[in-house]
Amino acid sequence: MRLDRLPTLRINPSETCTLHYNGKTSAGVAGDTVATALYANGVRVFGRSLKYHRPRGLYSLDGECSNTCMAVDGIPNVRAENTPAKNGMHIDAQNVQGSADFDWMGFMDKLDWLMPAGFYYRTLHKPACLWPFALKQVRKVAGLGKISPDFKMKGRYAEIYPTADVCVIGGGAAGMSAALAAAEGGLRVILLEARPWLGGSFDYRVSPYDGEKALYQRARELAAQVEAAANIRVFKHAANVGLYNNNLVTAFQVGPEGGAFDERYIEIRAASVVVATGCIERPLLFENNERPGVMQVGCAHRLARTYGLLPGRRAVFSIGHDLGLEAAVDLCDLGMEIACVADIREDGQNPDLLLALAEREIPLLRGWVAAKAYGAKQVKKVTLRTLEGSVKRQLECDLLVASAGRTPLTGPLTLAQARLRFDAHTGYFLPADLPAKMHAAGSLTGRNHPLAIEASGRLAGLKAAADCGANTAEAVAAAAARLSQLPGPERGTKLVMAPVKGRKSFICFDEDTTVKNIKQAIDMGFDVPELIKRFTSAGTGPGQGGIPGHNLPLFAARYQALAGATPVPTTARVPLVPTLLATYAGAHHDMCKRTPLDELQKRDGGVFRRIGVWQRARYFSEDFSCREEVLNVRNNVGMLDGSTLGKFRLHGPDALKALQRVYVGNMVKLTPGKIKYSAMCNEDGCVIDDGVVVKIAENDYYFTTSTVRAGETAEWFRYHTRYDGWDYHIVNFTDALGVINVSGPNARKVLQKVADADLSNEAFPFGGYREFVIQGGIPVRAMRLGFVGELSYELHAPASYMVCLWQILAAAGKEFGIRNFGVEAQNVLRMEKCHIILGVESEQRTNLLDLGLGFLWDRHKTETKTVGTVALRQVEADPARLRLVGIEMDDPRRAPRDGSILVDKRIRGYVCTARRSFTLERSVGMALVEAEMAALGTRLEIYEDECNGQKLAARVVPMPFYDPQGNRMRM
Amino acid sequence: MFRRFKPLWGKKPGLKSTYDAVIIGGGLHSLATAYYLAKEQGMSNVAILEKNFIGFGGAGRNTAIVRANQRTQENVPLYKEALDLWPILTKELDYNLMFNNCGNLNLMHSEAAMNAARMNVCTAQFHGVESHLLDPRQIKELEPAINISPDITYPIHGAMFHPPGGVIRHDAVVWGLAKGAAAHGVHIHQQTEATAIHTDGGKITGVETHRGRINSPRVLVSAGGYSAGIINKMMGVKLPISVLTIQAMVTQPLKPVLHHVVSSGMYHAYANQTLKGEIATGAHMDQWPNYTTLTTAHYIKHQAEALSEFLPFLRGVKFMRHWAGLADMTPDMAPIMDGNDPVEGFYMNCGWGYFGFKSCTAAGRHMASFIAKGECPERLKPFGLRRYENHRLMGETAALVTYTPDN
Amino acid sequence: MALTITCPVCGKRNGYEFRYGGEDKGPRPVEEGMTPRSWCDYVHMNACVAGVQKEWWCHKNGCGAWFTIHRNTLTNLEVEGVEVTS
Ligand SMILES: Cc1cc2nc3c(=O)[nH]c(=O)nc-3n(C[C@H](O)[C@H](O)[C@H](O)COP(=O)(O)OP(=O)(O)OC[C@H]3O[C@@H](n4cnc5c(N)ncnc54)[C@H](O)[C@@H]3O)c2cc1C
Ligand SMILES: [Zn+2]
Repeated sequence: MRLDRLPTLRINPSETCTLHYNGKTSAGVAGDTVATALYANGVRVFGRSLKYHRPRGLYSLDGECSNTCMAVDGIPNVRAENTPAKNGMHIDAQNVQGSADFDWMGFMDKLDWLMPAGFYYRTLHKPACLWPFALKQVRKVAGLGKISPDFKMKGRYAEIYPTADVCVIGGGAAGMSAALAAAEGGLRVILLEARPWLGGSFDYRVSPYDGEKALYQRARELAAQVEAAANIRVFKHAANVGLYNNNLVTAFQVGPEGGAFDERYIEIRAASVVVATGCIERPLLFENNERPGVMQVGCAHRLARTYGLLPGRRAVFSIGHDLGLEAAVDLCDLGMEIACVADIREDGQNPDLLLALAEREIPLLRGWVAAKAYGAKQVKKVTLRTLEGSVKRQLECDLLVASAGRTPLTGPLTLAQARLRFDAHTGYFLPADLPAKMHAAGSLTGRNHPLAIEASGRLAGLKAAADCGANTAEAVAAAAARLSQLPGPERGTKLVMAPVKGRKSFICFDEDTTVKNIKQAIDMGFDVPELIKRFTSAGTGPGQGGIPGHNLPLFAARYQALAGATPVPTTARVPLVPTLLATYAGAHHDMCKRTPLDELQKRDGGVFRRIGVWQRARYFSEDFSCREEVLNVRNNVGMLDGSTLGKFRLHGPDALKALQRVYVGNMVKLTPGKIKYSAMCNEDGCVIDDGVVVKIAENDYYFTTSTVRAGETAEWFRYHTRYDGWDYHIVNFTDALGVINVSGPNARKVLQKVADADLSNEAFPFGGYREFVIQGGIPVRAMRLGFVGELSYELHAPASYMVCLWQILAAAGKEFGIRNFGVEAQNVLRMEKCHIILGVESEQRTNLLDLGLGFLWDRHKTETKTVGTVALRQVEADPARLRLVGIEMDDPRRAPRDGSILVDKRIRGYVCTARRSFTLERSVGMALVEAEMAALGTRLEIYEDECNGQKLAARVVPMPFYDPQGNRMRM
Repeated sequence: MFRRFKPLWGKKPGLKSTYDAVIIGGGLHSLATAYYLAKEQGMSNVAILEKNFIGFGGAGRNTAIVRANQRTQENVPLYKEALDLWPILTKELDYNLMFNNCGNLNLMHSEAAMNAARMNVCTAQFHGVESHLLDPRQIKELEPAINISPDITYPIHGAMFHPPGGVIRHDAVVWGLAKGAAAHGVHIHQQTEATAIHTDGGKITGVETHRGRINSPRVLVSAGGYSAGIINKMMGVKLPISVLTIQAMVTQPLKPVLHHVVSSGMYHAYANQTLKGEIATGAHMDQWPNYTTLTTAHYIKHQAEALSEFLPFLRGVKFMRHWAGLADMTPDMAPIMDGNDPVEGFYMNCGWGYFGFKSCTAAGRHMASFIAKGECPERLKPFGLRRYENHRLMGETAALVTYTPDN
Repeated sequence: MALTITCPVCGKRNGYEFRYGGEDKGPRPVEEGMTPRSWCDYVHMNACVAGVQKEWWCHKNGCGAWFTIHRNTLTNLEVEGVEVTS
């Protein structure tokens, strides 16, 4: 039975939906939240509390606490009170053994005396053997929602990154006024509103805005203007979750049913920000203050006005703000019996509201407060007391509307580093100083009068426009003048808690923290709110500071009663509203680079691996030892896609100087047509990159880097020359050019068939660089290198030609049995040649000399201030460093696993790469060992993982293992 | 349980004019050092100066992951000692530190990473520290929530599994050590900021605080991420440290679902379930030094993206709190523990980066011996400041540091 | 926190487009006469200032320029228009 005629409704009673809960189906209507739909079906207990398994009911409608956190379609901790009901949803209560109504763990509530603040630190560890069992129990009882480890999230998640001149957070009257004012001069404005509609606290209220108009009418009028403004972009159902410096605003938006996304992450960069997030209510502290049937003013009022549900039959009100009186009057008019209104305030009420109460014969007790609620699962009775506690009165009811007053939602401001100050007049924490280009407006600033709220919004909007360079000085002055004539902030209630001991007065619902627990913590020396929070867990549950945020510091200050002590707020943290990981992740998808030959290699059976940003073919068969690939290169000819190699052009008058700065070799000696292999070190002398350099022309060089360094090479050059002001340019060709490596004794025969140049050893010797054309059309830069130890050509060609080039070579090589080889085969081949791979045969402690690459360093070019050479010079004589050595296993069929360590009494080094070599029929590898063990012939003991002390035997042997004279690459 | 609720670390002591040792910073390392100074070295006339409240710094913000599977033989024994101390301290302090010995699973995403991990595993096993390499199937058996399918950005090739590790309740360690130190006579001065260190003729003479001067022949700076700034400002000694902000976050609490500390270097993320049921996760640091302890939008999003891949069930879970603290990073990812150089009586213990929780007990214990005896204990010798100018980096990072801010 | 950096070429941009390049320690010293200590000072040691410092940045996902700015390490905000004091 809904109140289905109200003009304020946000539901459509003619459209229904069905929810499944507790073995039953419940009917809701369009616009319902899960909780309002269940409430309409008589559900009052929505779940059980964390520690004590106390029944918990609908208390607020904006998700401040975990009372109505439920599992929805397998997703835990869904805030039922503001999650739209959708047809077919499956709902489950949380933290219950049995059902929410009948939870056999309910007895825990009687055991609170066993669980004082921080009890677990002082118990459960004696005797020590108890702890592992206790730990299991602790884990089981902790946590609210349940989720399956193989849960798969459904739905679509999007993300957008809009920019704006002004971003307004909060779509109430103040926020809308701010948006309209900021948009007047044509600036781009974004308005964020957490609820699915604009209107804020005006939206459901029928009290007069001015003479004839009701507040809700005014809200809709403003909303229409905002929505009509072309330069205001409105995001409804979009909760602000973060606010960072330089005005970065984050939010997430819930999509409409059947829309393009379920939720989407929004990240806004705005020049100026207006925060108009309004107020929530400050919970009233009394015994059983969270019993189902106790709810906040706004919750009761909106249940009726927004959702058409009378929250109860007979209500008692215990409130401290005019909004409570207003709700009592309105709910009475809607048909609810109001047994009594207890107002904390002795005076100061709005006279019109007092009159309205009197007209309806609603008894009003001033200076009274609820002290205790009764009823096992649902409120049946309440005790009211005078503030000092001397007089009491009991009343029967099924609804207790309770609220100590209001509390501003300053979260976004504090996230942005605004400082809060306790304001004795309002009793609020109000912003003391705001960061640059940030403004606050509306009831958040303590204002209450509808006209003042709008005026403060307008003023903030104009100021924000001024931040963006708009000339609003006059308008700002006028708006400020208008605001100063309107009523200022009202006096707030001072009451911290009802006159009770507080054993069952909950400061934090989520963590079952009582007033008594807070006292215990303070007595134990946890005297600042931040420590109390950590020790008692208050404010660390699913709703974070939503419930205890204001009361905890107030209570702590009062309890300590230090002279002049003002309450200190606890810290607000991102996200202001709990946010799904799926939403934060957004449309995230893997981004990687693929070479031009990706498709071809896939077709040829390539097994791909991600290497840095690239996808590369690591194997070309299921045999991961790569026997066939390796032998084919050694005996015939193979082709490798080397496109990921870093490729650069360096040119300009100071290009040589730049080369000299970063390469350890002497680049003055470069001659055109010849490549120079060299290395770059970091300041510690560690090799960070190796590659070849070619002089193309005067002041014009071409060089390669390893795959992983390609992205940082330009930066590296510029960094190490940043003080010099040299004139050179560095162009990254890594993606523009592809690379194919043709290797093996038959490589020349293959290439000669298609190249327009003489490739004989005399015309194009080892170490040479040539440019020629393949099949009359494809320009290539060719280098004769020997990384794998065979006759080898590295062909660099424009990426767009790569597929064609590959096919030409494949066709030309067919008669020789050319085949692909992948990265692992290359790894084995180069290992046999003892060519190192940085990061495998080197680590942070090893430098150029340790790796035996000292021959690359021209130690005479000191004036070039080459990076790393000072360190090299300083350690040259150090005998106690790691050295790279070749090792051979005693057992030729048994190579140690890479990463095994070399030991005697201590660890002396480790195996970098070792393989059983098919070519050599020996097991060989490279290892880094302490220098004193690096001499040829030294016996080494290898300790593998899981070896149970059974070590493998090896000895130091000369490097390289394969073709020591290097004849094969010079063929 | 029926006891009265007495101040855990004693009534607020008055600031004396002279102490045998003054410790700047009220974090884990300070508290542990003070505790062991008083308990094992017979030096209890010790003051801890903390500018906010104890546990304000990294001590109260870390995610309390403990393990002893470091890379080098200089580090493993230190961390093993620390790991072995948790149950002992729980007893000694009579305070439940809530050691959840759940084990650590460190995911590897390539053949090369598995090989690098093997070195750690061998080193651990060689030192009698349990640690194993696992293949994807074994990972799945151990932790069903992990996604071992090949179609994620960095498919899982295996893992390093370290059963002795786990998670401790970090606050409990702070409060427990404070309780123990105070019980042995140490003075813990909260809301007391050290503003200068006094020296005379190459010797420490005292510390200036905003509450007045304290005389002392020994000063230890172990102020977490603030140490490097303090040491430069007060002693004119620069350190090879970059102070970065490191972030962490938790989801809403869940019933038991994740049973190990799961981490991935490739995804820059780790996750474990706390005893409260939250999934705690973190790891990221922005590379520019700052003391803000502010979180970033960039990172909470990154974390969601990463976890979505290797722990996909978490897509249905909500983040509820995100925070940050300081990490004082050294170039070789190992701390600096040193003393009497260049000034007699001056000690430092810093550069712990994001490893300062797991090590605090053992480090504090050896520092206490160092301070009391004036001689560097064997175990701390490799951690001296001079190693950087002597080109003796520690080798804790497997990967070559190709590019650090200052290199 | 949402760092922005002002590139001399591209203007004020999202901080994640940039790479931090360390405290400004002046031009590379000459190699002659460098001791392990002076080398270490230049390469590894930092002032770790809690306040405004001059530092290097590279617009890595932009124009590629290296430049210096002043930034307050206590707020992570760039400080514009600072005179070089040291
Ligand atoms: C998010 C995060 C996650 C982490 N996760 C882990 C982890 O899982 N495992 C792990 O081993 N480590 C972790 N760490 C690292 C660990 O927390 C720190 O290394 C460690 O806490 C630092 O040592 P500390 O506790 O002694 O210092 P801190 O706790 O940082 O103490 C420094 C104290 O010094 C005080 N102080 C500063 N200046 C002064 C002054 N002038 N006078 C007096 N007092 C001063 C500060 O107020 C502060 O309380 C993490 C850190 C963070 C931030
Ligand atoms: Zn730029």
